[in-house]
Amino acid sequence: MEQTKEILDKKYKKACLELSNGVKLKGNAIGADIIVSGEMVFNTGMLGYSEAMTDPSYLGQILVFSFCLIGNYGIPDLKIGDFFMSKGHESSSIKTQGIIVSDIYDGCHHHDGGISLEDWMKSQGVPGISGIDTRYLVQMIRENENLSGRIIPEGAKLQDKNKFEFLKNFTDDEYVDPSKYNLIPSVSAKEKVIMSKGSKKVAVIDCGAKWNIMRMLVERNCGVELLPWDSDFSKVKCDGWIISNGPGDPKNTGDLVERIKKDVLSSDKPILGICLGHQLLSLASGAKTKRLNHGHRSHNQPVFSFPEKNAYMSSQNHRYAVEKNSIQPGWMLWFENANDGSVEGLKHETKPFMSVQFHPEASSGPNDTSWIMDKFVGSL
Amino acid sequence: MPILDFLLPKDGKKQRVILLGSGALSIGQAGEFDYSGSQAVKALEEEGLEIIIINPNIASVQTNKGANKRVYLYPVTPFWIKKIIKIEKPVAIISSFGGQTSLNCVIELEKSGVLKKYNVKVLGTQVNALEMSEDRELFAQKMKSINAPIAKSHAVSTVKEALETAEQIGYPVITRSAFALGGLGSGLAVTAAELKKLTQAALMSSPQVLIEKSLHGWKEIEYEVMRDKTGNTITICNMENFDPMGIHTGDSIVIAPCQTINNIENNMLRDMAIKIARNVGIVGECNVQYALNPKDYGFYVIEINARLSRSSALASKATGYPIAYIAAKIVIGFDLLELKNPVTGTTSAFYEPSLDYVTLKVPRWDLSKFSGVSKNLGTQMKSVGEVMAIGRNFCEVMQKALRMVNENEDGITVNFFKDASDEDIEKELLSPTNLRVFAIYEAFKRGKTLEYAYEKTKIDYWFLSHILYLAKVEKELLNFFKLEVKKDSVTAQELYDAYKQIPKDFLQHLKSRGFSDLQLVKIYLSACLDSKIKLSIKEIRNLSFAVRKLRKKLGILPVVKQIDTTSSEYPTKSNYLYLTYGGIHSDVSSKKNEKSIITLGSGSYRIGSSLEFDWCSVMTSSYFKNKKNDSVIINCNPETVSTDYSASDRLYFEELSFERVLDIIDIEGPKGVIACMGGQNPNNLIQPLSEAKVNILGHSQKSVAGAEDREKFSAMLDKLGIDQPEWTSAVSIADIEKFIKKVGFPVLIRPSFVLSGTLMNVATDKKSLDYYLSLTRDISVDFPVVISKFILDAKEIECDGVAKNGEVILSIVSEHIENAGVHSGDATMVFPARKIYVRTVNIIKDIVRKIVKGLNLNGPFNIQFIAKDNDVKVIECNARASRSFPFISKVSGVNLAEVSCKVMNDETVKKILIDESEIPYVGVKASMFSFQRLDGADPVVGVEMASTGEVGCLGEEFNHAMLLSMEATRIIKPQKGILLSTGREKDKVKFMEVVDNLYKLGIPVYATKGSTKYLEGRGYSVNTVHWNRSPRAVDVIIDGKVDFVININKNLSVDEINNNSEIRKTAIKCGCSILTNLEKAMAYLRAYDSYDELQNIENCISL
Repeated sequence: MEQTKEILDKKYKKACLELSNGVKLKGNAIGADIIVSGEMVFNTGMLGYSEAMTDPSYLGQILVFSFCLIGNYGIPDLKIGDFFMSKGHESSSIKTQGIIVSDIYDGCHHHDGGISLEDWMKSQGVPGISGIDTRYLVQMIRENENLSGRIIPEGAKLQDKNKFEFLKNFTDDEYVDPSKYNLIPSVSAKEKVIMSKGSKKVAVIDCGAKWNIMRMLVERNCGVELLPWDSDFSKVKCDGWIISNGPGDPKNTGDLVERIKKDVLSSDKPILGICLGHQLLSLASGAKTKRLNHGHRSHNQPVFSFPEKNAYMSSQNHRYAVEKNSIQPGWMLWFENANDGSVEGLKHETKPFMSVQFHPEASSGPNDTSWIMDKFVGSL
Repeated sequence: MPILDFLLPKDGKKQRVILLGSGALSIGQAGEFDYSGSQAVKALEEEGLEIIIINPNIASVQTNKGANKRVYLYPVTPFWIKKIIKIEKPVAIISSFGGQTSLNCVIELEKSGVLKKYNVKVLGTQVNALEMSEDRELFAQKMKSINAPIAKSHAVSTVKEALETAEQIGYPVITRSAFALGGLGSGLAVTAAELKKLTQAALMSSPQVLIEKSLHGWKEIEYEVMRDKTGNTITICNMENFDPMGIHTGDSIVIAPCQTINNIENNMLRDMAIKIARNVGIVGECNVQYALNPKDYGFYVIEINARLSRSSALASKATGYPIAYIAAKIVIGFDLLELKNPVTGTTSAFYEPSLDYVTLKVPRWDLSKFSGVSKNLGTQMKSVGEVMAIGRNFCEVMQKALRMVNENEDGITVNFFKDASDEDIEKELLSPTNLRVFAIYEAFKRGKTLEYAYEKTKIDYWFLSHILYLAKVEKELLNFFKLEVKKDSVTAQELYDAYKQIPKDFLQHLKSRGFSDLQLVKIYLSACLDSKIKLSIKEIRNLSFAVRKLRKKLGILPVVKQIDTTSSEYPTKSNYLYLTYGGIHSDVSSKKNEKSIITLGSGSYRIGSSLEFDWCSVMTSSYFKNKKNDSVIINCNPETVSTDYSASDRLYFEELSFERVLDIIDIEGPKGVIACMGGQNPNNLIQPLSEAKVNILGHSQKSVAGAEDREKFSAMLDKLGIDQPEWTSAVSIADIEKFIKKVGFPVLIRPSFVLSGTLMNVATDKKSLDYYLSLTRDISVDFPVVISKFILDAKEIECDGVAKNGEVILSIVSEHIENAGVHSGDATMVFPARKIYVRTVNIIKDIVRKIVKGLNLNGPFNIQFIAKDNDVKVIECNARASRSFPFISKVSGVNLAEVSCKVMNDETVKKILIDESEIPYVGVKASMFSFQRLDGADPVVGVEMASTGEVGCLGEEFNHAMLLSMEATRIIKPQKGILLSTGREKDKVKFMEVVDNLYKLGIPVYATKGSTKYLEGRGYSVNTVHWNRSPRAVDVIIDGKVDFVININKNLSVDEINNNSEIRKTAIKCGCSILTNLEKAMAYLRAYDSYDELQNIENCISL
C-alpha cells in the first residue's frame, strides 16, 4: 500500500499515437518504453482489462479501451504452478501490442490484486498511452475500415521482433496489419498439454485459446488436452472437440480448415467451435466468412437463439463473421445478433456439432451463455 | 401482437389502465416517480391505451391533462382507488411506477378481493412476488431456496449460544438487544472476548440478544434489472456507493458504473441479480442491493425493490437507457427483443448500456432547516434531493457534483474544516455528517495518509486516493503563487498574469480534474490576498473572467460529449449531452443558429424548490420544442422530467453555474436564455448573465433587481403609496433595539447573508430575540440583519400572474388557510379564494397593477400580501414563476407557464380574464412534511419552510378538497383518541367553534390543563393530561391512546416552543397525525361536516 502514496503524482513521459490515416494524438507514455505498431481496435467493456489484454485473439492489435478509467483494481497475481487457474488472466502474457486509455489508475488495492496495471505492462514490455480522447478514437476506428497505428513513447526503442513470430513479416516503418498473415502459430501451444484427467476427454485445438475455456471444462470434470494447432488430429483419441478462439482471418490459417474437415468433422464426435473456432468449423462445413465493416468488440452484444428466441448478453471480439446465405444444408442458424442480424452460431441438424461466434467462456464479460459449455459436456 | 390481448381496443374503444402515482414528495419518495410515471404515460399512450392517473401531486408533469388520460387528484389509498375503479371500469392497474405507496395499495386491493371483483388485472410483476419482496421472512425463505446469501439475525439467550453463533457466521459480529430501545446493549465484537463481554451485559437487561454478521465497511452495490414476460433479462446498470455499508443509499454518494470491483465480482453479482429477478418472477424492472466484502468474494443480498425506484431513475440518467419507458412497454406485453433502444433507434432494447464516462450522484441535505435534527448520517435517509455529475474521471465528477449540489460551493476545496481541530476531523471521519468528504480533503491537506483515512472511513482506497490527489494538486498549484507579502487587493490583470506563468498542460490538467474558474480564483486569493480582506461574490466573479480569458486564449475549452448507451460503438443522434475537459473532440458541432432557446432548470430538489419548478421548466422547454425553436435545457437533477431526453431538443446534463452556462452559450449561440422558470437558483444567474451581455428572455435584470433588492423594492412601494410592514436593515444591535422600540414585538429576523431563508425567525420577546441573534453571525455593515414588524392574526394572500411590458396579462388571487407567519411554502392554499372580501381583492389587483408597472415586469410573477380587514400590505414580490404555478394553472385551466412563454417569446398576448365563478370546483394545496424521517426534528411550522412536498386536491366544495388534501398529506381521521393543546386564551375560545365536530367522532379526548378548562366549561368530558406529572401528555401518545394530536403554540417564544416540542416529537415518532396551526386545524375539523358525504360520493372529479 505504501507505494500507492506517490503513484498519482508521477509525471508521465509523453507519447504519440500515429495513425495510418495521418492523425496524430498526443498523450502520456505508460508501460514499457517500446515503439509498437498494430491494427487499431476497441472494446467497450467497462471491466476486464487484464482478461482482454491477455486474450490471444488481440494479437497484433492496439487495444483502445472506450471506458475512461482503466486499471482501477490492478492486476491479479499469476499464481505460479496453478497459473491456468489464475482468474483474470486468459494466457500467460499480454498479447495486445499496446493499449490506449483515457485515464489509467496506477495503484492496486483490490484484495485479488498483485501489481498495478502499469507495472505489469512494464514487466511484459508492453507500451501504452494515457490521456487520449478515447471516445474520439473509437469513432475514428468505427468510421475507418482499416486503421493501423503506432505507439511512439518519447525516446523509446523498437519492439523486439522475436516476441511473436508474425512480427517478422513487417519492416520497421511499416504499419502492422496482422490479418494478412496466419497468426495462430504465434499463440498456439508448441506441444500437447494434458491439463486434467477425467472420464470424458476433450481435445482443445489451440488457435490461441482463452484459459477460461479450459477452466470451465475442468470445472465440469472433463479430461482436457490442449493440442497445438498443427497436430495430427487423425491420431487424437477423444470424446469431443473444442476448436478455440484465436486471432486473425479464418481464411489465413494454412491447412487448418482442411484438416478440421478431414479429421475432426469426420470423427462424428461432439464439436464446439468458439469465435475463430466457429468460423473455422463453418468454413470446414462449406460455409463462407466475410470481414465486417467494424467488428463486435464489447461485453454487451445481444444474441438470441433459434427457434425459441431466448436472448443473451454475450462477450465478443471479432472482425470476421459467417455469411448467412452460405450456410450449408444439414446446418442451421442457431444464434443471431439482435442488433445487426449477423450470424452468431450454427448447429448441425443431426450431428452433435455446434459453434458460436461469441464467448460462452466470457472472461471478461457476462456469463449468460455458459450453459453452452454444459450442453457440450453433456453431449460427450 | 406484442400487446396483451385484453389491452387491445374493444368495439372500437380504447381500454383503460390505471397508473398509480406516489403522492406528495417526501424524504425517501421524491421526484423520481414523476420521471418514471411520465415516461410510463408516454409509453402507454403510444400503444393506444387510455390512462387513468391517480396521484394528488398536482405539481407533477404526470398529472397534466392529456388527450388520452384522465387525472384524479386523489389520495393514493385503496379506498379512493376502488372508487375510481368503479367509475372508470379499467381492465388493468399498474403499480410499479408510484413507489412504495402504490405498491402497498395494489397488494391491499388484491388481498381484499377488490381487483378480482371488478376484474382488474395487475400488470407487470404479480402481487405474490411483490409481497415476497416486501415481507422479510418470505424474502429470506426465497433467497435461501435459490442459494442467494442473506445476512440473518440469530437470536440467542446465553453467552455460550452467542459464541457458537459468532463462530458459525464469522467475526466481526454485531449484537443487538432484542427488547431495548435506543441501541442499548448493541455493539460490535471483533473477538470472542469482546462478544462475551457484550452479551453478558446485554443479557442482564434483556432475555434475548440478536447476533448479526457485521457488514460495516463492506461495499454497497446495486444492480438495475429488467426482465420481460418471456424471461429475457438484462442488467441496465450497476452502481457503487462511495460510502460503505452503514449509510442509507439515499444518503450515500454513488458512482455509476461500479469502479472498485473487478470483472469476476461484477459478473458474480450480475448473475445473482438475474437469478433473483427470474425466481421472484419480475416482469418489468427491479433493483437488487448487495453488500460485498472488500476482502474476499463474499457478498450478501440486502434487499430487492420490485418496482421503479430512486436508483432506477438515477440509472436511467446515468446510462441514457430509458428504464421506465421500456419497463412500461414490458408490463403491457412487449418483450425486449421486440423493442428498439430509443437512444440509437436502430439497435435492440435487449441491451446493457456501455458507458465511456462516469457519473456521480451527491445527495442534497437541508438539515439546518429542521430544528433539533442530528446531522449525522446513518441508516435512516435524510436527504431531500440529489444531483448527478457526468465526466471522464472521478476528480472531475466529484468537483462538479459538489458545485451542483450547492451553488455557493466551488468544489472540494471549500474550507469547511479549515479551523477544525485534528480531533474534530477524525470525529467527522468516524461518524460522518453530510460534510465528510470535505473533512477527508482537509485531513489529506494536513498530511494524513491514505491508510489513516481508510482506517477511519472504510471508504475504498480508490476513491480516497483521488481525493488525496486533488489535495496534492491544490498544493502544487499554490506553489506557483508563493509571495513574500500578501496583497491587499488583486486586479484581474494580476490574476491573468499569475495563471499565465503556469504551464498550459497543468492548467488544462486542472480543468480536466474539475477545477472551476471561480475555484482557481479563490485558490489564488487564498495564497496572495491578505486574509483580512473579503471580496464580494461579484468581485470574485469578475476576477474569474481573467481566467476565462486566458483559457480561451490558450484554447483550453470544454468539449461536448454524447450519452449514447453504446460508447460510440454505433453512431447515434443522441441529444443527451455533457461537457468535459477530458477530451479534444466534440461529438456535436456548435450550432450558433440563433434559434435556440435555453431554459435553465432548477437543479437539486431542496426545501423551497422542488417538483413545481421542474414542472415550469418542462412546460417551457416543451413549449419552445413545439414551436420549432431549438429548445435546449440545462439541469443536473436526475430525478426530474426536464432531464428526460424527450423534454427538449437538446439536454445538457450540466452545472447551473455561471461558468458552465456561459460555456454552453458559447457553444449554442442561442437566441435567448430563460432563467425565471426554474425557481430561485437559476434566477440568481440573471444578474451575472446580463452583465455578460447574454440575452435574458422575460424580465429585465433591472426588474429582477428591483423586486429582489429590499431597499429598492421598499422605496418603490413607498413611492407608489403601497403599504408594507415596517422594516429596517440593521447593522448593529443598537439599530435593532431602536427599531423594536418603535414597532414593538413580535418581529421577523432575517440575516442577509443567508440565501435560502435559513435562520429566519420570529422574535416575540427580548429572550427569543437574543437567542435568535446568537444563532446568526456578528451583525455588521457587511452582514446586516433585516428586521420587520411581524403582524399577528392577519390573512396571507398570494397573487400569481404574468405581465407583459409592465401590463398585467393575467393575475390570479389565492388565499392561505393559515394566518401570516407560516412560510408560504408550508401553508395550505385555497383557490378560488373564498374568504376574501371583494373589496380586498380589488385593492390587491390594483396593487398588482401598480407593482407590475413600477417594476416594468415582463414575464411570470408572484406577489405575497398580508391583509387584516381591508388593510393590505405587500410582503414580497418574486419576478419569476412561483411554487404555486402548477396548482393555479391546473385548477384555473389557464396554463400560467405557457402564457409566460408566449410573453417571453414576444408573441401577441391578449389580456386573460378568469371568471372564477365558472370554475366548477375548489382546489386546496397542502404541504407534505417528512418529520417521521428526521429523528429529533420538531414538527412545528413557522417562517422557515420545512415541507418536502405538496398535494393539490379538488372538491365540489371546500370541505371536500380540504379533507382530501389532508388525507393525501397523511392527516388521517382519528380512530383511537385525540390530544388537544390549543394555544392562547383567545385561540382556545376560537377553537370551541369546531369542538363539536371532534366530539361527534365518539372517541376519547385528552387535553392539557388550559384546554380542559374551556372544554369542561362547555360541558364536554375530557381526560386531563399534564406536562410533567401523571397522566403525562407524552404517555398517552406512547401508550397508543391517541392517534391524532392538535398542538398549537401559545406564541413563538423559545420557551413555549421547547415546552411543546416533546409532545410533537413523540406524536411524530408514534405515527400520529399532527396539526400545529390553529386555522388549519379548525378548517380541517370543520370539514368533518362533509366527511360522510365525501366518503359516499359516487363521482370523483377528474382533470
